[in-house]
Amino acid sequence: MNMTTTKQHDQKATPETSNFNEGQSNLLLKGIAVSGGVGIGQAVVIERITTEICPRRIIRVEEVPLEVARFEAAVHAAAARLKTIKQGIDDHHPLGEHSYILDTHIMLLTDKMFFDGTKRLIGTELLNAEWALTEIMMKITSAFDTIEDEYLRERARDVHFVGERVLKILMGIHHESKIHHLPPNAIIVAHDLSPADTVQLTREKVVGFAIDMGGKTSHTAIMARSLKLPAVTGLDKVTRLVQTGDTIVVDGSTGAVIINPDPETVFRYRERREVYRKYHQSLMTYGRLPAVTSDGSYTARITANIELVDEIEIAADHGAEGIGLFRTEYLFLGRQEAPSEEEQYEAYRHVLSRYSPNPVTIRTLDVGGDKIAYSLNVAHETNPALGLRAIRLCLSRKELFKTQLRAILRAAVHGNCRLLLPMISCLSEIHAAKAVIEEVKKELASEGKEYQDHLQIGILVEVPSAVAIADMLAKEVDFFSVGTNDLIQYALAIDRVNEQVNYLYDTLHPAILRLIRQITNAGQAIGIPVSMCGEMAGDPVSIPILVGLGMNELSMNALSIPIVKKIIRSISVDECVELTRQAFDMHEAREIHDLIENWMTRRFPKDYFL
Amino acid sequence: MNTPKGEETLERTLRIANHQGLHARVATMVVQALQQYAASVTVVKDGVEVDGRSVLGLLLLAATHGAEILVKAQGPDREEAVEHLSRLIEYDDNEAARSKGNSRNI
Repeated sequence: MNMTTTKQHDQKATPETSNFNEGQSNLLLKGIAVSGGVGIGQAVVIERITTEICPRRIIRVEEVPLEVARFEAAVHAAAARLKTIKQGIDDHHPLGEHSYILDTHIMLLTDKMFFDGTKRLIGTELLNAEWALTEIMMKITSAFDTIEDEYLRERARDVHFVGERVLKILMGIHHESKIHHLPPNAIIVAHDLSPADTVQLTREKVVGFAIDMGGKTSHTAIMARSLKLPAVTGLDKVTRLVQTGDTIVVDGSTGAVIINPDPETVFRYRERREVYRKYHQSLMTYGRLPAVTSDGSYTARITANIELVDEIEIAADHGAEGIGLFRTEYLFLGRQEAPSEEEQYEAYRHVLSRYSPNPVTIRTLDVGGDKIAYSLNVAHETNPALGLRAIRLCLSRKELFKTQLRAILRAAVHGNCRLLLPMISCLSEIHAAKAVIEEVKKELASEGKEYQDHLQIGILVEVPSAVAIADMLAKEVDFFSVGTNDLIQYALAIDRVNEQVNYLYDTLHPAILRLIRQITNAGQAIGIPVSMCGEMAGDPVSIPILVGLGMNELSMNALSIPIVKKIIRSISVDECVELTRQAFDMHEAREIHDLIENWMTRRFPKDYFL
Repeated sequence: MNTPKGEETLERTLRIANHQGLHARVATMVVQALQQYAASVTVVKDGVEVDGRSVLGLLLLAATHGAEILVKAQGPDREEAVEHLSRLIEYDDNEAARSKGNSRNI
């Protein structure tokens, strides 16, 4: 919901609104939101050299030396330019830590495959330098395409950046002048932005990025976050729809890009930008504070969900007091063999020691057999969500499970480790898992390996049957973690990705609130902590109820941490308990939404999440 | 490859310590390091052999975290060269960067 007000109507034509031209007015594109905030400004389209516009010419044999010399000169010019750019980056540059990539690019220029390869092709195929270079680039990038690892595969982009730089020199295109002469409030629109171009941007003039290419590991995404500028990637064809000089809005929080917005839209986004800007400044200060209610009687531990080891720093920056959910799946997916014990050990140890003494909750493998190639002989399943997955898969592929447990038990000596078992639906699964853990401990002990003997073991409560027997399960484990994403799907019988039915998905459904209350009651009765790690835990609207139910820990996407801390610090336990009581008297999700949203609007009139 | 008299090939298996694998930063450091040595160095993984002085070659090995690579070196300073490479490859530079005063509050 946007807070749109119509207090003031500024009729003045400004650079932001003056450009209503040919047809493409108010065109909305959706991409991937990779760096938050709102940017409104003038598009500056950075062209790329597509293979179609690359000049192609068969040369005469006697022209070969000249063509080779042209190529060599262009490479040297490109290398010299990159060196100059690199030297211009001092220690205080916000992108300083990424500048090594320029060294990589300088090296790529003279790499055998690239440099010698192109020269050879000029001589053997009698191609002009541009054509030969394009061929080599295509050859190299197609070799990268076969790499499974996303990060390494994306390095094909580096070959492109370097090749394009040489191509532009060969063709006499001075693309950098555009970067050096930016208008104020520039929105950089590009197919992909090279690191060399990014570091040269005058930060005071750039207000956002809109990029065709996607990928969370793309340089643009990483750099935009470092620069704290809004960015949307994965827009596919924004470079074809926008012209330099067009007015453009980039909302890096939602992934929306609006080309030539109408005055009303500009107006709305200006407000949103202001709100976001001030809000963000004030918000980050909350990250460092504990989530204690205004009456001081209740403190929730606020932790982060992570998938990649690399996410631990961003989580720490936003104020995570530990990791409430370390999804280990990424270690297992997209590869031919299961990760070795050592590889897993290193990953877990790394996260545990970074956060010690704060807790890190490691969830054991939570996928279906269909997702991993090496889980032998998995029969085809017509309904994988209800099939052999998570703890069920682990108990049936015991070696896979044991290797992971060995790695976790060994890594656990380096920090405060909690083990989380996913998809538990009955008591016997806990007993079976514990038996495997004991078996693994004995093995480690007999091998003389160091391991954590007193590992805290908890379960992810996400199957409705587990909620029904929560009182029994609570006696068997050290903690509960509520996995709302799956719990809601299973309890309401809704596939979230099915667009026909996902309108029924609702975190505030009376049934869901009752299930959650049953879990917290069971935990409190036995005296074990209860945490929540689904999306609901980071949703501002659900916070008063989760506080009202006495949830001990909330684990969420790192970006939500500051706002959640702010909310908790501003409310009292009494008002949350009262609001929760009212919510439990209501029969429809809609009524509960209205109740809480009205209350939140009253209590937090200035916060943009409403 | 012709082996000059009295010069053997030194071979050593190394494991990739970095979590992103043998990625751009490590590959760049490897090539930079080898510039100080005269030894010829190749790197082998899954039967593919590349020049240790080629960033592209190293990246295309697609050596992910935990993978093993075989380093072969020839030349008078082969020991030093391989030793240097093992320090770069069997060492997690991300972690080093963090412990170098880059730690923030948690």
